[in-house]
Amino acid sequence: MLTKPKSFSPYVPKPATLVGKSKLSDFVTLFTFAFDDGRILAHRPGQFIMLSIFGVGEAPFSVSSPPTKQSGNFELAVRRTGTLTEALHRLEVGAKVGVRGPYGSFFPIQKFVGQDTLFIAGGLGYIPLRSLLHYQLRHRDEFGRIVVLIGTRNPKERIFVDQLAEISARGDVEVLETVDQPDPAWTGNVGVITTLLPKVEMDPSQTYVAMVGPPIMYRFVISECRDMGIRGERIYVSLERKMKCGLGKCGHCQINGLSTCVDGPVFAYTDIETLEEAI
Amino acid sequence: MTAYCLHMEQLPPLMAWWRKEYDVYVPVAAEGGHYDFAPWREGTEIAFDYDLAYNTLKRYFLPPSEDLLTFDLASYEAQAVFEDPKQILFGVHPYDVRAVNQLDQLMEAGAPDRNYMARREATVVMAMEPQRVADTAFWSTIGADVVSHGYDLHFTRISPANFMVEVGSVKGEELLLARGPLPAATAGDREAARKAHQKVMDLSRSNRLNFDWRHTPKLMEKGWNAGVWREKAELCLACGSCNVVCPTCYCFNVSEEADETLKTGRRFREWDGCMLVNFATVAGGHNFRTKALERYRHRYMRKGKYISDKIGELGCVGCGRCVRACTARIANPREVFNALWEDQANAD
Repeated sequence: MLTKPKSFSPYVPKPATLVGKSKLSDFVTLFTFAFDDGRILAHRPGQFIMLSIFGVGEAPFSVSSPPTKQSGNFELAVRRTGTLTEALHRLEVGAKVGVRGPYGSFFPIQKFVGQDTLFIAGGLGYIPLRSLLHYQLRHRDEFGRIVVLIGTRNPKERIFVDQLAEISARGDVEVLETVDQPDPAWTGNVGVITTLLPKVEMDPSQTYVAMVGPPIMYRFVISECRDMGIRGERIYVSLERKMKCGLGKCGHCQINGLSTCVDGPVFAYTDIETLEEAI
Repeated sequence: MTAYCLHMEQLPPLMAWWRKEYDVYVPVAAEGGHYDFAPWREGTEIAFDYDLAYNTLKRYFLPPSEDLLTFDLASYEAQAVFEDPKQILFGVHPYDVRAVNQLDQLMEAGAPDRNYMARREATVVMAMEPQRVADTAFWSTIGADVVSHGYDLHFTRISPANFMVEVGSVKGEELLLARGPLPAATAGDREAARKAHQKVMDLSRSNRLNFDWRHTPKLMEKGWNAGVWREKAELCLACGSCNVVCPTCYCFNVSEEADETLKTGRRFREWDGCMLVNFATVAGGHNFRTKALERYRHRYMRKGKYISDKIGELGCVGCGRCVRACTARIANPREVFNALWEDQANAD
């Protein structure tokens, strides 16, 4: 039965150090980490890690930076929302954390090569999508059109604002944003994210959709993508659930019979469309 | 399969011998007319004819609370914690062996859970043919009356003073013969064992499924919107008792605490239950199964379909513990499965 020495445990995190911290909005901060032993995370876009703050706990976070072969640094963008994320926000650069992973499925980049990509991010959904987007930007000539749709509740909650302005200014990426609740300074689109879809014309036969957002968004947006003629197997979504082990054991992240931590978090829509609990 | 004959009087000396090296747990009469497993001591009265052990055996492999690691807050070094006490579980009924076999498969699949496996490998399972059937049990009707593997020895009482003991592993045989040779089982002994099995199967006729249990996954699949979920879940207190007593429920939560010096600490897991209200709550407070109905149905889907999809047998072994533990009297898998069957038979 046992194939590795008993001293190996998949529950043991590796020490990493917080090497950078920058505020993205009132509640969201970008954290940059490096493993203490110099290892590279070697994740793929869409995967997550289990982050530990000893004495507080452990939770899953999607990696927001693209994979890298050169540097071990990786980024998480995290909203202050509970005990662990509160403790994370209090950490100063130089502080240590524990990291397990990367875990889970990922966006199938090879399928996206030579194809157009429609990114659809609702709220903090841009965080995991950013990993894929930045990978594509680094290998820009391998991919066709790149269209990024971002919906945020209000302008104050927008994240990566400057970076997105730079990306938009490149000329080879279309970025469209909308907010639900505009402030007086907002001159852009107002409304839920589906109001952006009529503004983009994609060739459904060569478009892949990468979508991350709150559950309510999926229901409406997937239906509209299908109306645009994009087939289910070309629509990829990342689903969020509570995860305690990351190994498909603890049961918390189950969607019907699937475990989000090992079968997901990235699913082709065709893999989940018959699952009653998915979206 | 090799089998020996063991006289009742030979058992206590063997137990005493085993106890030198192992913690030996046996079925005993417990409070309130129940039975439970307890450590064997010289003079312990073993309840050979127990109907059902109130608690499940999963606690010997997946304790209610178990350390996974210790950590150092300064260096952020973490050490895995493994506990593997040598233990013998004596007198395990076949449906409970089956439950352990399921846990073995599920905990080993993918990234193996080495804490579970370390305990499992240090454990000797000595199965025993039941002599009585709990009034809430229905294992005989879902094919969980026999088990082909997962035990080191299998005892069948073939007369008031004799057991036939089938060997399931080399380790089991060594333990059985530790105090000297035993006579091989005769054809007559085997026939007596067969009759003992038949006798208990006859006793178990009252609690039956109304259909072949192999249809269950299909029934579950089609029964997502069945009335039985609402009808039962309306009374559900969402207390999680059914999770706790279920031999195949293994969900857990992970927590940790620093010690009083704030220099070191431990991370541990504890049993959790999918019936509890916050089981599927994520950061920010969104709960993917807010209603008792959704959680109740999920639990049954796991037993009747999801686990079956993974390993090819029902995730319910028909022990009937949940039926006893449920204060609202709604946790009877046999009733749920039968209701789905009636529903769909009427619909067809």
